[in-house]
Amino acid sequence: MNAFPGRIEKEGRQGVTGSYLEIRDLVKSYDGRQQAVRGISLDIVKGEFVSFLGPSGSGKTTTLMMVAGFEQPTAGRIILGGREIAPIPPHKRNIGMVFQNYALFPHMTAAENVGFPLRMRKRPAAEIARRSAEALAMVGLGDFAGRQPRELSGGQQQRVALARALVFEPDVLLLDEPLGALDKNLREHMQVEIKRIHRELGITTIYVTHDQTEAMTMSDRIAVFSQGVVEQFAAPLDVYLRPATRFVGGFVGDSNFFAATGRPGMLEIEGLGSLSLPQAAASASGRYDVLVRPEAISLWRDGSTSAGHCVVPFTVTALVNYGDSVLLMGSSGALSLRARIPFVQATDIREGAQLQLSWRHADMHCIPAV
Amino acid sequence: MRIVVALALLSALFILGPLLIVVPMSFSTAKSFAFPPPDYWLGYYRAFFADIRWTQPVINSVLIAFATMLLTMALVIPAAFAMVRQRFFGRSAMNLLLMMPMIVPHIVMALGYYSYFSHLKIIHSPLGVVLAHTCLSVPVCYLIIAAALKGFDRNLERAAMNLGAGPLRTFWEVTFPVLRPGFLVGGLFAFIHSFDEAVVAIFISGQAASTLPRKMFDSIRIEADPIVSVVSTLLFAAVLLAVLSPLLWRAIRQTQMKAVPA
Repeated sequence: MNAFPGRIEKEGRQGVTGSYLEIRDLVKSYDGRQQAVRGISLDIVKGEFVSFLGPSGSGKTTTLMMVAGFEQPTAGRIILGGREIAPIPPHKRNIGMVFQNYALFPHMTAAENVGFPLRMRKRPAAEIARRSAEALAMVGLGDFAGRQPRELSGGQQQRVALARALVFEPDVLLLDEPLGALDKNLREHMQVEIKRIHRELGITTIYVTHDQTEAMTMSDRIAVFSQGVVEQFAAPLDVYLRPATRFVGGFVGDSNFFAATGRPGMLEIEGLGSLSLPQAAASASGRYDVLVRPEAISLWRDGSTSAGHCVVPFTVTALVNYGDSVLLMGSSGALSLRARIPFVQATDIREGAQLQLSWRHADMHCIPAV
Repeated sequence: MRIVVALALLSALFILGPLLIVVPMSFSTAKSFAFPPPDYWLGYYRAFFADIRWTQPVINSVLIAFATMLLTMALVIPAAFAMVRQRFFGRSAMNLLLMMPMIVPHIVMALGYYSYFSHLKIIHSPLGVVLAHTCLSVPVCYLIIAAALKGFDRNLERAAMNLGAGPLRTFWEVTFPVLRPGFLVGGLFAFIHSFDEAVVAIFISGQAASTLPRKMFDSIRIEADPIVSVVSTLLFAAVLLAVLSPLLWRAIRQTQMKAVPA
């Protein structure tokens, strides 16, 4: 069922020129000295699903609150559809939001909750009844219209909150860690559900989370927050494979970092020696952090080619078996290393084992060190 | 186990003791307080309802308690919002000030009102009693409403605004209905506090604004009239009804809900 005629067509990222939601040099300071948000600029395209990913206190929720209008920016601008929205009070912004704790009105039924935004917009009673029923049906709760929030499970409350945030056809949908309180299976189910609804409605969505997997699987683009700034704003695979900063490389996924010094055409890695790398970054002089993902490292068999590979001796000090793979932790000389090996290749590895590990030069990513 | 049950029964008996004496005494034929009653009748109940010297204080008490409740709520609700939600200079001093009437002995307060209200010429008037009772009701009412407000999830207000409700509509559609139980309990406590209050009433209510507790005190002191036990029994019955009716109502509602499957 389609609750929102005319909105199925995803107004694609190609079809619209420029950005739909523009955040320009946004600053938020609560006490005038320390800044929770320190100059953030983002351009979000219409219909895009963007995640704000970062640890707590990184400024992602504060930024969301400023978009919703619950916090006033200390400096900077927020432009939605060509219109500056910072001076507009929250109730006139037409932005839907799902709160971490759902924030359903406890004194209203599910249908009354969903009908609330339409009632505030003074729609006729018949239209309110029809549209809230459609919105509840869209999230699979058509039979629960008369229930009070306390009579619903966490997942069901989450769906009601989602229906309520979407029923008035907002320009932007904001989700503030919406799945944080749900158990793992339900969370994965709701991720699929939210993506389905996003596909159906094509609504511009900002999703705040500290869960990198959630951000990786759901987003068109991820903005990685740290200490009040956006460290990188890019597609999930770019963030994973080519992190812009050491923080991003360390926060998203598991990682090995090596300190390195760049010389023209060469890279001097501490503990590994000189390498000539194809990566553009390595051609410039300066200090680098070199990232190698543990899953890019494999066991090196005698006789296989070492051309284009780093091959290092390795002593296992600890191992964690995940069933499908084994995480080896240990050292290679002065370097400490983590390697993730498919379980079938690692059945006979024990603590204290001496091995040879290798990885491709192409799997090394150079990040200029700050 | 048996000892615990016996102890519980004994405590209950201890608490109920005065009632076990007062209630039978109200039906007694004795001319003064006598226990056990020589015989039973309803004469004193008839006397109570027929005597304006008894019914007038009841009406006074109800009106004064109601006015006290309204005035207390009008003061406490804005105060609680400011104290819980704002950070301002002198906030903790203000908190102490709000608790003052609870800390200072009633008799001291009563003396203060007596001299101050004489000066203002509102002594022996319902207005004076309402003002004094309001002051005394503020702390308990404030504690209840502030606690309710602290437990209120402000995301509910954010959600309402996000969904298109302005500040006023947010208050009437969301904040007030969600906090209503807390407001009701706070109001009830203010009402009961005023209705129960004897010390200040004895000092300042006079004949014109005599409340029921004052009348009862006078009656015991001057005439030892058994009607006092009638009043006590009626009050007890009223409280019992007030406590039991919500329970009863919930039970009825639950059976109704079971009868009509959702």
